[in-house]
Amino acid sequence: MQPRRPPLPALLLSLWLLPRLALAAAAAAPADPEYNDVPGQPPAVGLPRGILQLAARAALHFFNYRAGSPSALRVLAAVQEGRAWVDPQKGCKVDLVFSTEQYNLEQEGEEHLGKCSARVFFKNEKPRPAINVTCTQLFDKVTRQEKDYLLYKQMKQLKTPLDIVSIPDSHGHIDPSLRPLWDLAFLGSSYVMWEKTTQFLHYYLVQLSSVKQLKTDDDSIDFDFTVLLHEFSTQEIIPCRIHLVWYPGKPLKVNYHCQELQSPEEGSGIVEGSAMAPNEFSNF
Amino acid sequence: MKWLLFFGALIGAGICGQDKFFGDQVFRINVRNGDDIRKLTELVNLDHFKLNVWKSPSTFDRPVDILVPSVSLLPVKSFLKSQGLDYSVTIEDLQALLDSEDEEMLHNEGRERSGDFNYGSYHSLEAIYHEMDSIATDFPDLASRVKIGETFEKRPMYVLKFSTGGGKKRPAIWLNAGIHAREWISHATAIWTARKIVTDYQKDPAVTSILEKVDIFLLPVANPDGYVYTQSKNRLWRKTRSRIPGSRCIGADPNRNWNASFAGEGASDNPCSEVYHGPHPNSEVEVKSVVDFIQKHGNFKCFIDLHSYSQLLMYPYGYTVKKAPDAEELDDVARSAAEALASLSGTKYRVGPTCTTVYPASGSSVDWAYNNGIKYAFTFELRDTGHYGFLLPANQIIPTAEETWLGLKAIMEHVRDNLY
Repeated sequence: MQPRRPPLPALLLSLWLLPRLALAAAAAAPADPEYNDVPGQPPAVGLPRGILQLAARAALHFFNYRAGSPSALRVLAAVQEGRAWVDPQKGCKVDLVFSTEQYNLEQEGEEHLGKCSARVFFKNEKPRPAINVTCTQLFDKVTRQEKDYLLYKQMKQLKTPLDIVSIPDSHGHIDPSLRPLWDLAFLGSSYVMWEKTTQFLHYYLVQLSSVKQLKTDDDSIDFDFTVLLHEFSTQEIIPCRIHLVWYPGKPLKVNYHCQELQSPEEGSGIVEGSAMAPNEFSNF
Repeated sequence: MKWLLFFGALIGAGICGQDKFFGDQVFRINVRNGDDIRKLTELVNLDHFKLNVWKSPSTFDRPVDILVPSVSLLPVKSFLKSQGLDYSVTIEDLQALLDSEDEEMLHNEGRERSGDFNYGSYHSLEAIYHEMDSIATDFPDLASRVKIGETFEKRPMYVLKFSTGGGKKRPAIWLNAGIHAREWISHATAIWTARKIVTDYQKDPAVTSILEKVDIFLLPVANPDGYVYTQSKNRLWRKTRSRIPGSRCIGADPNRNWNASFAGEGASDNPCSEVYHGPHPNSEVEVKSVVDFIQKHGNFKCFIDLHSYSQLLMYPYGYTVKKAPDAEELDDVARSAAEALASLSGTKYRVGPTCTTVYPASGSSVDWAYNNGIKYAFTFELRDTGHYGFLLPANQIIPTAEETWLGLKAIMEHVRDNLY
C-alpha cells in the first residue's frame, strides 16, 4: 500500500533520451532517395502509404508458404523498425524488423511473440516482390510436426465430395471439424497473396468460397478450391482458384488463377470458372 | 493492541467460508501522509479482520477504499478513530447493493434480448428496424425513430434521435453506421450503442451530461439495400444497389459519393469498381437523404462514421495530404478516444488523417461533414486487423461495441465541452 512512485532517475533518463533519438533518426535521413520511415509517421512523398506494414505482410506470406506448415502459420503483430527507399528507376526497397504471433488463435500454447527481420524489394509496381526473411522460432519443431501430421490425418478423414458453401460462414464461424481445411487453404493462399503483392496492392484472405476437389487417396493431399481475397486499396474482392498438393514436411506445390477483370454483370463476388494450366505448378 | 488480537480470535472462526456480504460495508479512508498509510497497512495486514482493499492509493491525496466484513465493523471503526484516520461509509450494505444489481441485470437481460433481439449476434434489416422501434417505444421521452428518406429500392431509412431538449434544436452529433454493406460489425455496434445510450441515460454521468447539451442522431444502417443484399445474395457486397445508367454494373460506393473533392484521387469512374464514385455527387439517394437532413438541421457539430476493418481512428482529410486546419485538435481528441477504447481490452487503434493513415479517398462522408462546418469529424475502422476482416465472428460484437463506446464517449464529451 506504499504509494507507487515511478523510479525518478529512469523516468528522467527516458525523457532526456527520447527527443535525442528522434533527432538522430531525422538527421540520418539524407535528402535523396533514402528516407527513415518510422512506424506511425507519415511517409515522405513518393513512398507508398503503409509501405512498412505492407512489406511485413508480404514477407510473412512468403515465409508461411516456404515453411509449408499449416499448423505454424504466422501473422503480423507489429512493425518495430523499418526503412524504405524509393528509386524511381528501379523500385522500392524495404528493410524491416517486426513481431509475429500465431495465426491460429484457437490453438493451445505458444502465446509469445516471434520476431522477424526482412528485406523486401518491389520491382517498379510489379508483383512478386523479392523477399529475404528470417524469423526466430515461434513454434516448437516437434509439436509443429505432430500438429501437421494430425491435420493431415484429419484432412484424409474428411468425407469427399465435400458439401462446402463458405468458410467462414457469413457470421464469421468456422466449424472446428473444417478448421484443417481452412488452415491449408490459408497456406495455399499465402503463396498467391505473396505473388500478387506490389508496393501499392496488398491482400487479405476473406473466405474459402468453394471446394472443387479434395483428393486424399494418394499419400499427398490434393486440394482444389476457390478463395476470395480482399484487395487494398481498391477494395475489390478477387476470386482465386487454387490447386495445391501438400504432404507434411514436403515443400508445398501451388497452381492458381485469379479473376483479374471486373465482370460486367456484377460488381464483386462472381466466381467465373477460368481455365488453369493443368498439371503445371506455378511455383516450379 | 491486545484487544485487536482478542477480537481477532473471536472473529476468525466466524468469517471463514463466507461468500455472501450481508451487512458488509465499504469504508473510504482519507490518507494524508506516509504515517497514515503505514497505520492503514498495519490494519489491513491483520489477517483476522479479513479486510479487502478495493482501491489502494497511488498518491497521498487519494482515498483508500476498503471492504470491511460486518463482524469487523466495530473494531475497525475503533481503530480508525483511535489512530485519527478520517473515513466515510460509501456502501452501507454490500449484499443489498449486489442483490439490487442482480435484479437490474436480470431485468436488463430481458431487455437485452428484447423479445428476439440478441445484441451478440447479427440481424436482418427488419430486426434492426424493429429494435429501433422498441427502443423508441421503451424510452419515449428520450428516443424517437425518424424516417429521413428512402433507398433506391424504396426501403425506409431510419434514424434514432436521442434528445432531452424537448423540441428545441440543440447542437447535435451524427453517428453513421453501415454505409458499406459488408461491414456488419458497424451495424451491430450501432444498434448496441443505441440501446446503451437509453440504458445509461441518468445512470452514467457522462451520457447524462452529454444529452443535457447536445442531441444524438444515430443511423445504424446507412445503406439498407446493400445490407439486405449481403444477407441474401452476396456477403461481400459493398456499394449501394442503384442502377447506373449506361452500365450493367450495379451500385456506387456511398463513401465516395459525397460532395468533397468528388471524383478526385482514391475513387473510380468505372461503374464496376468497388470505389465507383457515382455519376455525380449525392447521386445515391442514401447519401442525399443524410446530406439534406443535416443541412436542413443546420446545427451539427460532430459526425462519426463507423466502418470495418483495420482498427483505425481517422480524421480529415481523405482527399488530400494537406493538413486540415483543426488537425492538431482532432488528433488529440482521436488519441484520447483510442486510449479510452484500448483501456477495456487492449485493442490497439492507429490514429491519423485518413489520406496518410489508410489511403487517399475522395468524396467521403467525413470530409464533406468537415468542409460543411462540422468540426469533429471522425472515421472509425473497427475490429479486426485482417484475421477475420469483414467476417468478424458474432462473439466479438459485444466486446467491440463496448470498447468502441468508450472511444465514442471520449469524443462526445469533448464535443460537449467545446461547443462552438
